[in-house]
Amino acid sequence: MQADAYATGWQPRALSLAAGAALWEVAARLAPTSFLPPFSAVIAALVTMIQQGAILANLAVSLGNLALGFAGAVAVGLAAGIAMSRFRRLAMVGEPYLTAFLTAPSLVYVPVLFTIFGATRLTQIGSVFLHAVFVIATTTLAGLRERRPGLEAMAASFGATDRQIFWKVRWPSAQPPVMNGLRVGVLLAVKGMINGEMFIAFTGLGALVRIYGGRFEADKVLAIILVVVVVALLCALAVDALERRRPSIGWRA
Amino acid sequence: MIEIAACRKAFLDPGTRTSAPVLDGVDLTVRDHEFVCVLGPSGCGKTTLLRILAGLVRPDSGSVAINGRPVTGPGPDRGMVFQDFALLPWADVVANISFGLELRGVGRGEREARAQALIHAVGLGGFEHHFPPQLSGGMQQRVGLARALAIEPEILLMDEPFGALDSQTRRGLQEDLLALHAGNRKTVVFVTHSVDEAVRLGDRIVLLTSRPARVEEIVSVDLPRPRPLDVAALPRFVALKEHLWARLRRQAHGRSEGDAG
Repeated sequence: MQADAYATGWQPRALSLAAGAALWEVAARLAPTSFLPPFSAVIAALVTMIQQGAILANLAVSLGNLALGFAGAVAVGLAAGIAMSRFRRLAMVGEPYLTAFLTAPSLVYVPVLFTIFGATRLTQIGSVFLHAVFVIATTTLAGLRERRPGLEAMAASFGATDRQIFWKVRWPSAQPPVMNGLRVGVLLAVKGMINGEMFIAFTGLGALVRIYGGRFEADKVLAIILVVVVVALLCALAVDALERRRPSIGWRA
Repeated sequence: MIEIAACRKAFLDPGTRTSAPVLDGVDLTVRDHEFVCVLGPSGCGKTTLLRILAGLVRPDSGSVAINGRPVTGPGPDRGMVFQDFALLPWADVVANISFGLELRGVGRGEREARAQALIHAVGLGGFEHHFPPQLSGGMQQRVGLARALAIEPEILLMDEPFGALDSQTRRGLQEDLLALHAGNRKTVVFVTHSVDEAVRLGDRIVLLTSRPARVEEIVSVDLPRPRPLDVAALPRFVALKEHLWARLRRQAHGRSEGDAG
């Protein structure tokens, strides 16, 4: 398959981040403020927190919320996109809601979930889910709507049933937009994870952010944000790796 | 044996909402093992006729039967080759060739074995795991041809298959097709707008009028089989070509006179 400079290699991204960290270090030392400690201080705080055991348990909780919420968003988002591509009435009914939820400020989700589920992990998982599901549904629907009549006629000429045409021609054809939706969706899911945990601050990394933020411990807050960013980057790389592995998913016309 | 009688087809023009007739009573019989070329001006309805034979389009009236049974849809007795190749870009050569077999539930081992045999037959050895964007046009059409042959059809339906290729590639594929046909003697219905190609390949040439199409003339190509490589130099070849060109020219003049009148 064609080697796309965008799709391959974590090295350029790592180099860019390293340069950013260096810039941060220099700037923070030259112009010290209490809000932006130097990168080295943030790393030191991170190490301390790991040694004290504060981080790992909450990281596990956060990752659990992320995994469950995102898995749900993928399942429901793909199913909704597929269903709306097959049933036009469903699409007519559902699309305005997709648009509405995509444009609504996502911070609104968490207070609403809180009134339903209270201060539980369901609220946090729900936040992850709601942040990601609408993007995934929208891009899946858009991908399936781009038909390739030539390929569908070819498949029909070889005796393909409607179901075979869908799974063997239309679904693979839609993979580039679907994968884009997953890539954006996973990053929004991470955002939903933090939003949910900061609001319902009883467990998870977001809770730590709120606690340390309340104590104005900027180095600890930034350390946790750093962990979240790393999580997000790893998720994006995972989606990229999935695309590259399976040519039937990762092809680009 | 293919029997088409009084075939009529009109399409609804979505812009003007009027019915535009495309086929206006086409009669045609194709015998087993024959290589028939359907020749006509651009847009005359040749592709529509082929699609009706493939079972992708239903005629408005008339009958289309293969071996006595009316055509109601696609079937395993017919394999089609498309002008724009119509390969799946996300599948490699082996997977594309075995697509028709996969649709039918043939097991992976057998699919790959049959695909491998055809890869060698069409001259794609070494490219088994290449993807269509990595192949030239000529190679992609070889995949298309292999895919149609893989389902072992009685009839090959070819819709201007070499129309998108440069002349050198085209000539190479014509010669390869002739060699394959000499070997497997399938019935072939080959749509083209090239007089040269029709005379080079066909046993008979069905000349269609312009839209709405009817059969204007059927020409028997009495050139030797197997076709020699320099067949185009034979006087008979030249005579047939000139005859067909004269007919096509008269069709074109008839049209323009009709417009002026």
